[in-house]
Amino acid sequence: MANPEDKKGYVFTAYSGKVEAGKIKELALAIGEDNPIYTDEAKAKEEGFDAIPILPTFMEAIDMWYGPTFEDLMEQLEIDMKKLLHGEQEYEYFAPIYAGDTIHAETKVTDVKAKRNGMAFYTLETVYRNQNDEKVMAARMMLVKTP
Amino acid sequence: MEPYLLHNREAEVGTELPALEKPPVTRMQLIKFAGASGDFNPIHTIESVGQEAGLGGVIAHGMLIMGFVGQALTTWVPRASIKKFGVRFSSITRPGDAITVRGELVGKEETDEGVWVKIKVQAVDQKNEVKVKGTCEALLPRA
Repeated sequence: MANPEDKKGYVFTAYSGKVEAGKIKELALAIGEDNPIYTDEAKAKEEGFDAIPILPTFMEAIDMWYGPTFEDLMEQLEIDMKKLLHGEQEYEYFAPIYAGDTIHAETKVTDVKAKRNGMAFYTLETVYRNQNDEKVMAARMMLVKTP
Repeated sequence: MEPYLLHNREAEVGTELPALEKPPVTRMQLIKFAGASGDFNPIHTIESVGQEAGLGGVIAHGMLIMGFVGQALTTWVPRASIKKFGVRFSSITRPGDAITVRGELVGKEETDEGVWVKIKVQAVDQKNEVKVKGTCEALLPRA
């Protein structure tokens, strides 16, 4: 079997997706998030937004719906999906992302640490740009492969 | 409602922020979250897969719990203020677990752009087991 550390530097095919108001609402409903800024444009504007903003964790929906599927991701990283754990997730917000924006995402495996006991830790970093090529967000995810 | 730190501007480092108590996680919620997020890993929705994976059944998406924390954040600071938000997933959540999100103000600094705050967050279940812990950094507008 390949050494997990060989995946360091691996770049995934970039993807783009539209931020849909309905998808923001769907995520808010699933979480039970009742802040009206995510569903009511007038409320969002009262808070100084130009339109309905995304929830802090919304980019996962762009990743999962427009990027590689979960199965693809695991195949590319050569991880058995039943041995995968999500270790850490971090987001940085540079500018607002609104319903109607189109987001372009580029993901790279920036680090892999394999342990002797068969555990491996993968760090994936994604940079998100909007339709104006403005860097609006970045994400850092740590995936754990269990032995 | 106005976020807590906007109407409690005098809050000092060490202040405990109002906790967000969520109703117990349901299987239906995990199905809805799978659809909303696009994370269809079957360990979250199909009982037999959760069993086969040695998890003793389905477990919640970590990102659902991070979503709860995100919800708590905007009760403390305006959505537009959030600059950085990160968590570490410490233990699994199962249907029936009731999550409470707690926050503590751990940093506060006047800057040229506004008041920079750092909040330590933790999501725990009914047995006080920590599910996720993390931090949020936010830039509050001046009064």
